[in-house]
Amino acid sequence: MRLARPYTVAVGRAAGPHALPLARIKKIMKRSTAGDGGAGGESRMISGEAPVVFSRACELFVAELTRAAWAATLEGKRRTVHREDVAAAVRDVDLFDFLAALVVAHGDAAGCQGALD
Amino acid sequence: MEMGFAAGTAANGGGGAAAATNGGGGGKAPAAAAIREQDRLMPIANVIRIMRRVLPPHAKISDDAKETIQECVSEYISFITGEANERCQREQRKTITAEDVLWAMSRLGFDDYVHPLGVYLHRFREFEGEARGGGLGAGAGGSLRSPRGGPAPGSASSMVPGAQHHHDMQMHAAAMYGNPMAPPHHHAFLMPQPHYGQQYEMYGGGEHGMGAAAYYGGGYAPGNGGHNGDSGSGGGGANTPQAVNFEHQQPFGYK
Repeated sequence: MRLARPYTVAVGRAAGPHALPLARIKKIMKRSTAGDGGAGGESRMISGEAPVVFSRACELFVAELTRAAWAATLEGKRRTVHREDVAAAVRDVDLFDFLAALVVAHGDAAGCQGALD
Repeated sequence: MEMGFAAGTAANGGGGAAAATNGGGGGKAPAAAAIREQDRLMPIANVIRIMRRVLPPHAKISDDAKETIQECVSEYISFITGEANERCQREQRKTITAEDVLWAMSRLGFDDYVHPLGVYLHRFREFEGEARGGGLGAGAGGSLRSPRGGPAPGSASSMVPGAQHHHDMQMHAAAMYGNPMAPPHHHAFLMPQPHYGQQYEMYGGGEHGMGAAAYYGGGYAPGNGGHNGDSGSGGGGANTPQAVNFEHQQPFGYK
C-alpha cells in the first residue's frame, strides 16, 4: 500500500498524512465484505483509494458524532462527554440510526439499564 | 443488512471493551484477543485527536465515550462498505472503488460527505501524481469520475501545485462556509474552524472563510456530477474545513 514513501514529505502537507491508518481501514473493510459478500465465493478486492476516502470520511464522521454528543453533554450541564451522550447523539440524529444497536448493546454491557428488556 | 452489521459489531463490542481493559491493566493474558481488537478498531489516539479538534478545550471525554466512538467508526466503515459491496456484487465487479464508497455514502444518508471527500480524493490524486512524477493521478485511473468531470470554477485553482495548496484548501473550506444549503442534520454544528492552536472550533470564527467564499461563490461542486442524481448539491457544509488541519499534524497513523 501507500505507506511510508517520499509521500510523507512531498505530499505530507495537504493530502496526507491521513488521520487514520489506511491499513487498518482496509482490514475493517475486508472484514465487512467477507461477512456480507462471502456468498459470491470470491473475495472482494478493495481499491487503494477506497481507504483514502474512508480515512477522511471517518474524520468527518467522528467530528459530527462528537459534536452531537457534546450537545447532549451540554444539555445535561456537564463538561465530560460520556457514553450516554454518544447514545443520545445516536438517538437524536437520524443519520446515526445504524449505530443504535451498537450503543444500546454498549450501555447494556456496561451494566446500565439498556433499552433491551 | 444494516442490522446485521450493527448486531455483529455490537456483539463484539462488549468483548472489545473487556479486552481493552485487560490490556490496560498491565495483563498480557488475552494477547491474541487483544491483537484482534487492535485490528478491528481505529487507534484510539487518532480517534481522540479528531474528537478533541471539535470539542472546546475545557471539555473532557470519558473513556467509555472514547471507546464507544472508536466502535462507531468501525461500524461506520462496515456500514458503508457493506452497501458498496452489495453494489459491486450486483454489478459483478470484483473491486470496491472509491467511487463505490462515495456512492454508498450518498445512498446511506451521508451525501454531505461526498463533496468534501471528492475534493479530498482529487487532491490526493494530484499529490500522488506529483510524487510519482507522473501525470495527474495517472495510476488512479478515474474510478471516481466526478472530481475531474465538470468544468468547475475551482478546478483551475486546485491544479496549482506545491505552495498553493494550503491556500487552496482554505478556499475549499470557504466555499463550504459560503454554502447556504446547510444540511438539516448539522443543525448547530456549522462552524468548524480548524486552526492550529485554536482547538475550540465549534463556535470559532471563519476568518479565512468569507472572502474566499465570495471568490468561490460556493460554486465549486465537483463531487456532485457523476455519482448519483440525488446526492445533495453542494453538500458537506460542516465538514470540509477540517482538511486544513492536515498541515499541522505530525505524521501519525502509519504503523
